[in-house]
Amino acid sequence: MAYSRDEIKQITDKVLNMCKADAAEVRFSGGERSATRFANSSITANLIEHDQEVSITVRFGQKTASATTHQFDDESLTRTIDAVQALARRKPDNPELMPLVEPPQAYMEFDAALPSAVNFGPAERARMVKASTDICEKRGVLGAGYIPKFDWVEASANSGGLFTYFHYADASFILTCRTPDQTGSGWAGTTGVKDIRNIDAEMLTNVAADKALKSRKPRAVEPGNYTVILEPRPAARYLSLMLGSLNARNAEEGRSFMSGKQRGETRLGEKVFGDNFTLRSEIGNQVLRQSPVGQDGLAARSVTWIEKGVVKNLFYDRYWAQRQKKEPTGTTPNMSLVMDGGTASVDEMIKSTKRGLLVSFFWYIRPVDNMTLLNTGMTRDGLFLIENGEIVAPVQNFRWNESPAVSFNNISALGPQVPMHTGEAYDNPGTALVPAMKLEDFTMTSISPAV
Amino acid sequence: MQRREFVKTLGATGVALYASDLVGDLMAQSPRARVMDSRFRGLSDLALGEAKRLGCTYADIRFTRNVNDSVAVRDRIVTDSFGFGAGGMETSAGFGVRVIHSGVWGFASSPFVTEAEIRKITAQATEVAKASAVSKRFEVKLAPVEAYQDYWAVPVQQKPEDVSLDDKISFLMKINEAALKVPGVIRVQSNMAFDYEWKYLATSEGSYIEQEIWRTSPGFTVTALKDGKAKSRTFSVAPKSAGYEVVLEARMLENVERIAAEAVEHCTAPPAGVGLKDLVMTPAHAMLTIHEIVAHPTELDRVVGYEANYAGTSFVKVGDIGKLMMGSKLFNVTCDRTLPGGMCTVGYDDDGVKSQRWPIIREGRLVDLQTNRETAHYIGQTASKGCTFATSWRNYPFLRMPNVHVEPGPPGSPTPDEIIADTKDGILIDGRGSYSIDQQRFNGQFGGDAFWEIKNGKKTRMLSDVTYNAITTDFWQNLDATSGKESWAMFGTTGDAKGQPVQINHPSHGSPWVRIRRIMVGAAFS
Repeated sequence: MAYSRDEIKQITDKVLNMCKADAAEVRFSGGERSATRFANSSITANLIEHDQEVSITVRFGQKTASATTHQFDDESLTRTIDAVQALARRKPDNPELMPLVEPPQAYMEFDAALPSAVNFGPAERARMVKASTDICEKRGVLGAGYIPKFDWVEASANSGGLFTYFHYADASFILTCRTPDQTGSGWAGTTGVKDIRNIDAEMLTNVAADKALKSRKPRAVEPGNYTVILEPRPAARYLSLMLGSLNARNAEEGRSFMSGKQRGETRLGEKVFGDNFTLRSEIGNQVLRQSPVGQDGLAARSVTWIEKGVVKNLFYDRYWAQRQKKEPTGTTPNMSLVMDGGTASVDEMIKSTKRGLLVSFFWYIRPVDNMTLLNTGMTRDGLFLIENGEIVAPVQNFRWNESPAVSFNNISALGPQVPMHTGEAYDNPGTALVPAMKLEDFTMTSISPAV
Repeated sequence: MQRREFVKTLGATGVALYASDLVGDLMAQSPRARVMDSRFRGLSDLALGEAKRLGCTYADIRFTRNVNDSVAVRDRIVTDSFGFGAGGMETSAGFGVRVIHSGVWGFASSPFVTEAEIRKITAQATEVAKASAVSKRFEVKLAPVEAYQDYWAVPVQQKPEDVSLDDKISFLMKINEAALKVPGVIRVQSNMAFDYEWKYLATSEGSYIEQEIWRTSPGFTVTALKDGKAKSRTFSVAPKSAGYEVVLEARMLENVERIAAEAVEHCTAPPAGVGLKDLVMTPAHAMLTIHEIVAHPTELDRVVGYEANYAGTSFVKVGDIGKLMMGSKLFNVTCDRTLPGGMCTVGYDDDGVKSQRWPIIREGRLVDLQTNRETAHYIGQTASKGCTFATSWRNYPFLRMPNVHVEPGPPGSPTPDEIIADTKDGILIDGRGSYSIDQQRFNGQFGGDAFWEIKNGKKTRMLSDVTYNAITTDFWQNLDATSGKESWAMFGTTGDAKGQPVQINHPSHGSPWVRIRRIMVGAAFS
């Protein structure tokens, strides 16, 4: 059972009343996190986690400290508040501490906890596993997957009267099919789904099984520069690699790809990417239905980060905005993220490719050089060679070294947007609307026979 | 204290807020180290009895209390955002119940430690297991284990909480001051993080085990900007299962100027270029390579496919034990949950299996794997090696790596200086950098924190843009020098992620200085 707005308000009021500091903020996070895992076509873990926590931040002038507890009884709260107040008093002033965000804030209102997701229980998840693994068995593959479900509340309040509350429920279905001979592997999934009826486990299982069967016994092809077609999952991971560069402070301090030529300058207003790269935070997007609450409780507003390749906005946190005499952005770049898509299907992208690779999944991406956004990673779970408009063979996986700063100047086709998680794991909000993308001159560095 | 005193409700909202039966209070009411007299025994028996009544063939209940505390000073400003947990001070306590019913696991957890909640969560775990049986194709098989009633704790010289915040901040501030004096330095963060973990495990097979673990991880990172290039340098301190003594013994202040100067030098260091080089790796760097391409591929749950959807499988197969050559004759790898200081050193794992030390690679040959009760049967073993761990009460336990070490060379092995002196065209690598490995742990690309050219036996100048590519077995086959035990050191990581939902483990990895011949360097930058 999720916590209602009134229940949370009672808790945050209670904490704020107990605090004796000059000012205080309370953040609540809690609810049910459940998950079902399966491997080798059999369920391996099915669990329900209940949790709740309050993070209490107190201020004495410019001194501040925070502490978190998962127990809300009077004694625990008193103990936590006493401890955090003692901590704050003993700390030196923090010159970057900003005043509390003041009410009223105009948060966009929409329902993010639909009944189908709220009521998505372990038995329904187990049946979904059964439906999936039955298909796996018929298709002669082994299924390994994950079905996470959140029914969660994020809330906050401060002693200046601000109160925020966001209740959401969502689920994902993520599946890897492998062939028994261990030479083929395929991935399919959908993430951050607010209406469970939009999870088609059988369709996804067939996609993953197809990929596994078609990727058997891959052949090695030479490393080098390839045209790549990234399906939405690798596209979402790749997109995430440039989000950190949108931080204005890093840029102005000379530590980022978005830094200008001189320290203090940025690339704001410059055309950094290609005409077909547009990236926005679209608060209230009806598919994503993600939190409308921005940094420190500011009302999040829609922001265009990149428009037709031009850097339109960088993220100014409240302190840096004040220092630089700018408006705080409020919306962080990972919120309700939407990348503009196109109309090309993956099949059409394949047909228009003379020689290239179809990529099903990216794995273990890590930064190599922050200043250039150079990253490295691997392909995984289905990599296919395209020649003259057709898939001609499965190929062994590649390690790549590439920068989205280069690639997003080399987008030659985009598909329709779909919801897909941008993070490596799927446990936190992070789903964005991302299209499949075709990128030219993508650098594959070495081969890995790993399947 | 009676249970009715525990339970309070908040106002008229009906939100149950439970008072004073917190794990911390129950701990205070329980005689430490007398597990059978603990308040948790009664609560445990409640869950175990309920599980038995509900038809479970196995059950355990694990209470934990985790206290993460950290402090960081960035550019003379005290911040909280660092540590084992989310940063700052966090206390988390609760319990998780794990059962087997119908041959399938069920798990549920809650932060409310009351008798009623324990009954409810036990029933919920059982219901989850029963519901899951519809999609089982094999049943859980647990290796047998002896029943223990025991208490175990990490030896601590100085508890971190006994050191004042003022002293901690003052120390970290001195590091800030010293680093910011160095021309070219634009940013510094010094930090110390502490993790206290208490847990009480009771199983339906008769074990009652209480454990206390303290972990400490200090360090600092300096960022410099010169000629339009920004580079960071981190002073590697080995995090340990121990107390504040880890901070005092780390010699952080003594190394600030050197580390800051190296950050500045790194900004203008020439690129290493592309080609085959001999790599000389310090233990602070080798730990990461050991972690990624030795420790992970020898986790048996990965080998048999349990992690196929996320962390991945392994290039190692069950049939490779006793056959596969993982490296040269100098390559000896040991799993160890007993060595003092190791962050995975415990008395018992979260299955209640006594901690052990065992070889997995000897003279280059794979001889064993990491196992737990659930997976041991896959390689025909009748006992678990004790590798089960859950991050907290909230999480379900599963197979996590122990401390995994590369053994030092035998007496008479070269010193680090002698290894350098014996290297004609190489690169010395220290600290952690970028790392990325395929899902079977066969193709890895690693960076480091700092790099120096070695020419004709001499460490000459710093280099930049160094990554190296490792095909696991080839890489370790090229191991041709290990220093002796005098220079063996254990480093580790506080952020080893695995599982769904993702859980964090804290393994240590010891290593001598090692040299790997003729490895491709710089391909990432070509």
